[in-house]
Amino acid sequence: MNESQLGPRGRTASPVDDADRAVLALVTAGQLDALQELYDRYRTMAYSIALRITTDASLAEDVVQDAFLGVWRNASRYVEGRGSVKTWVLSIVHHRAVDAVRRRRPTTELPDREDVPPPALTLPDIWDDVAAGLDREQIASAMNELSDVQREAIELAYWGGLTQQEIAERTGAPLGTVKSRVRLGLLTLRRALGGDDGAPDGLAGEGSA
Amino acid sequence: MTEPRLSHEEAMDLAALYVLGALTPGEEAAVRDHLGTCSLSHAEIDELGGVVPALIEAELAETDLVEPPASLRDRIMAAAAADLDTGRTAPAQATAPRAAPVAFPSAAERTARAGRRRTSPFDWALRIAAVLAIVVSGAYALNVQAQLDQARQFDQAVAAVVQAGSQPNAKTVVLATQTGQRGAGIGAVQADGSVVLALRDLAATSGEQSYTAWVIVGNNPVNVGDFRVDASGIRSFTTKAGDTPVGAVIAVTLEAQAGNTAPAGPIVVAGQAAAPPPSSG
Repeated sequence: MNESQLGPRGRTASPVDDADRAVLALVTAGQLDALQELYDRYRTMAYSIALRITTDASLAEDVVQDAFLGVWRNASRYVEGRGSVKTWVLSIVHHRAVDAVRRRRPTTELPDREDVPPPALTLPDIWDDVAAGLDREQIASAMNELSDVQREAIELAYWGGLTQQEIAERTGAPLGTVKSRVRLGLLTLRRALGGDDGAPDGLAGEGSA
Repeated sequence: MTEPRLSHEEAMDLAALYVLGALTPGEEAAVRDHLGTCSLSHAEIDELGGVVPALIEAELAETDLVEPPASLRDRIMAAAAADLDTGRTAPAQATAPRAAPVAFPSAAERTARAGRRRTSPFDWALRIAAVLAIVVSGAYALNVQAQLDQARQFDQAVAAVVQAGSQPNAKTVVLATQTGQRGAGIGAVQADGSVVLALRDLAATSGEQSYTAWVIVGNNPVNVGDFRVDASGIRSFTTKAGDTPVGAVIAVTLEAQAGNTAPAGPIVVAGQAAAPPPSSG
């Protein structure tokens, strides 16, 4: 399997992702069957993530429903080259689950994400290929590259859905420190996950901000 | 949203939290706003965002997989269908009740559909890529060599459609399967009204059986050509010339014999001729 069976854009897309894109294209054309197919492909992952974040079965169902309706309404806003369909769909689920949890916290400004896809979607393809090839241990070992405070900041931000102010309050660190911990943590993860060889240029951009 | 404008530096300072979705809605809107208006490089956002797929994989790795209740699918599909009825971009046949027998759409239905149809933001070339991708990925997953031959065959069929579809003002059509049938395809309407079709996944014809292509304007299906399909299920076909305006339904039926002047067999695939994207070319 080399040569001409690359994806339509010549990238080394995984067959799964090519098929996903095809299904999503049909979703964009408004085909209910395609939505059902996409749902069936990711329902277990989506529901499991939602359940893990919300720890509430009925809320998790609402989150997944919201997320797939978001996909249904906004499929045309998925842009090829922004990462895999899987990442896109599961990001939406993740963000909506986090939003649902945030809503239960009275002090938090209510997000109104509605139809807005999650922000983290300008993903170079290579990173999906990298992520798709990762196993549990590689991810765990990359996470181990983080300092404790970096890991804590990323966990609170991503898994906990806390805002920078909330992370600052929770950890007692100043806002600026929170921001730099998250940033350096992500850069560290990226380096650790990218391996020594295939890392794209511009990775070592830590002095640039 | 009237958030204060962020400087480039301020926006980039929020980049890491932005890609993690950890900003407040106001902050997030401000970053978006900045990205939409600032011409400086935001490459670091892409770099940082590149970690997100891995975070999702990590999240999955730490998550016990739980099947959602079966009722959730029904809820979602019902909500999506309701969405369609309230004016979302209406595809050619998605509004057809799933279990209903397929019939040629009434004129009123077609008018309603045409009225709901907005200009698709969707570049039709991507549809071709999508249909191709189904074949390519199927080839990977299944019987590799045989499927690859089919992929190439379909590739050639699609190339003909692309050629026709790239002409100025060419209308395009996505043919989707009808309930209980299998098949899919794309087509482009040429200047003389003939339709260049690339079809796949069709059941092979046997004996006198024939597929018939129809162009339906108003309530009037016109036979625009008959063709057979071999075991590959793939067919490249150009219909007869005629009148094929935007909104015309292009349908393929499976008939007992070629040459029918009115459809007698079931619709296998159908779609509606769409105007070219406004900015294409």
